[in-house]
Amino acid sequence: MSKKSRKLIRSTPLADEIAAEGDLDAPVEPERTFFFLPEQPPLDVDEGELHALMKLWRHGRATRTIGQVVQDSYVMLFSVVMIGAMIISVVLRAQAGMAGCTTEDCASGRLLVPTAMVLACYAVALGVARLFGPVLASAAEGFWLMDAPISRRRLLRGRLVLPLLLSFLVAGLATALVAALSGLGWLQVLAWSGAAAFGSAGLVSFAAAEQTRERVVVVKALQAVFAAAALAVLLLVVSVAAGWLPVAVLAEAGTIAWVFAVVAALGLVGMVVMLRLTLSRLEEIRRARLVSGGSLVAGMQGAMFALDFGLIRDILVERRMAEKGHVRPTRGRGLGLGALVWRDVERLKRQPSAFLGLGMSLFVPYAVDALRMSPLNPLISGLALVAGLVPFLGSLRVLSRTGGLARTFPFKTAQLRTATMAVPAALALVWGLAATPAFVGIASSGADRSLVNGLSAALITALAGLMGAVRWVTAKKVDYQTPMMATSSGALPPGLIFNLFRGLDMVALITAPLILQLPAYWSLVIGLVVFWALRGSFNMSDLQAEQEQARRELAAAKEGRAAEKQKIPRPGR
Amino acid sequence: MARKTPVLKVTNLKKAFGPVVIVDGFSLDVAAGEAVALTGRNGAGKSTVLRCLVGADRPDEGTVEVNGTRVSETSPEVRRDVATVIDDLDFFPDLSVVEHLDLLARAHGVPDPDAAVDEVLHEVQLVPQSGQLPSTLSSGQLRRLALATAFIRPRKLLVLDEPEQRLDTEGVEWLADRLAAERQRGLAIVMASHDPTLVQKVATRVIRLGDRAEVLADE
Repeated sequence: MSKKSRKLIRSTPLADEIAAEGDLDAPVEPERTFFFLPEQPPLDVDEGELHALMKLWRHGRATRTIGQVVQDSYVMLFSVVMIGAMIISVVLRAQAGMAGCTTEDCASGRLLVPTAMVLACYAVALGVARLFGPVLASAAEGFWLMDAPISRRRLLRGRLVLPLLLSFLVAGLATALVAALSGLGWLQVLAWSGAAAFGSAGLVSFAAAEQTRERVVVVKALQAVFAAAALAVLLLVVSVAAGWLPVAVLAEAGTIAWVFAVVAALGLVGMVVMLRLTLSRLEEIRRARLVSGGSLVAGMQGAMFALDFGLIRDILVERRMAEKGHVRPTRGRGLGLGALVWRDVERLKRQPSAFLGLGMSLFVPYAVDALRMSPLNPLISGLALVAGLVPFLGSLRVLSRTGGLARTFPFKTAQLRTATMAVPAALALVWGLAATPAFVGIASSGADRSLVNGLSAALITALAGLMGAVRWVTAKKVDYQTPMMATSSGALPPGLIFNLFRGLDMVALITAPLILQLPAYWSLVIGLVVFWALRGSFNMSDLQAEQEQARRELAAAKEGRAAEKQKIPRPGR
Repeated sequence: MARKTPVLKVTNLKKAFGPVVIVDGFSLDVAAGEAVALTGRNGAGKSTVLRCLVGADRPDEGTVEVNGTRVSETSPEVRRDVATVIDDLDFFPDLSVVEHLDLLARAHGVPDPDAAVDEVLHEVQLVPQSGQLPSTLSSGQLRRLALATAFIRPRKLLVLDEPEQRLDTEGVEWLADRLAAERQRGLAIVMASHDPTLVQKVATRVIRLGDRAEVLADE
């Protein structure tokens, strides 16, 4: 914090000080320094000065110095430093351990896993850049500053740096972590993470250049290509681990670090070129395009503060639908609950990309089995299925988030929820059948488990994934009126903490007996109980209200009886 | 003249938010063919009363009954009989205007859903927007869609919170005529409104909410 700001904080009177000064003089008329002069040209505006002024105002609103903030949160900072040191230590040891592994499986994994990570970083960088802008402005800036006769280029050029820096750091660090854990040498780690960092930054600057021309087609196509390539490489990893491909060819290719060094260099060059191009076009970006990214960030920030991931998804879905704008209407079929189910069937045609997610989740049980982690397969695959099924539970989400729409349908809540779960349940069933070979052990041990055991494990995992997804989309918002929990970060409502685990809790609960090697029917029983609870068979708020009403009626009846007793005339003597 | 059996019966309704009492001791009977308009300044409690009537809010004291059934937002009988247009109406983001109406008509078992949807779409003048998704509609069009969701389905009681909001002058006139016709056909209506024309055309009873509820007019 600058000296100027500190001075400003100290000099800002506190509210109680202001209140104490009761005998304030009569308000002084401010000296007018600005008049509307239509005849004269406006003065030149320095955007740098404007920014400095805004920064000064923001600092002026601060009530605590950075020192005070650090002092208050020292426990958390200390924990972060400790945990960070532990993670780094674990990574270093794992890297040393993995580097010692000289089998062909290890060598191929060492090459392929970081490569998949680099490609995934490219896809994510492009996706996020397209979603937010990448150049964006807040609603206040859009309304107040961009209406003024100032240079948009000079105002926005700083905005380009942040997404580039973020993509550079996140992609670089994530890939470095994966590459180190795969057992690559430190120079190779540098090559792979450099390729991810510079390549992602270059792609973000390309997305920014496209944003100035309001084009998304190429960015979307590139994103799809990188995502497909990452998936293909991951499939290759599983195939090699399962012994379906000759590993020798891949293992020999482990010395291609220089290719990634070249990719990093190309990324750097691309970033510089695109950055210059974007800077020259910044003046042309429409305000609406900039502000929409800013409002999206603001909405998502609000949702993140409540850890409401469902709301974040709602915001994204709403935005995608607003971009789409129009659909070719289809005629419904059936009456009653059947109409709701049929509408969900019709919806499947509208969201082919959701099938990609579901397909990718199907890849997880095979990967887990190939990595010889079969005991944990139900839990890990169940969680992957949660992510794969959430996009298919759109109706349930809308009918659960507010009562308004559910009120328009003449059904019980349990009936509505069951109807909206029907199509996702059918998809989960298909997923379970398709995942059965992985649970039989086809990728690890050549199908050494019985088909019945594999099938029951796969179907229970599918049930766990479905229930996890239902729990995720139907969870209620955080209630800030409930008693708070004391934490090192201050008082928090309990719902805020549980939001982190929603979905995960149901999967863990249902798959626990399988992981603990108990008979599968235990999981089935737990799954059915969870289904009964999640479909809204009992409504806790209704029960509480009935209880409260009964209590009030009882109290009123008691009062009435007491009054009657008082009226009884006593016989005189 | 003796009143008919009430479709809606509210007895001693009380609702408070913390220490602030919004309504206390509010009672109301609405029979078939009656339309009650709630008026009053902002914050008088009109919307709160309506939310309690449809079960969106739970009253602190008192009872609300529709056709003799205690109101609960989750009761299928109440959902079947009461059509509402209040602030918390949500839409499916991926369904178009016409698909929303089609789904509701079919869910309520309307005999000829296609014809009913066509008729309502024409009436609310959303035919050109029939393929649009809700997020692309203007606020006035969204209000028309909300009204259409109430008109497409069978109902015995219609509860509307400031239905004239965001409608153009023509739209308010259409709405007034439509609601008056609904009342004459035997539907019970309870609405909150600030529009004198709408209230005058539709309401058989006007209740002004304030410090205490006051009946301004009763047919």
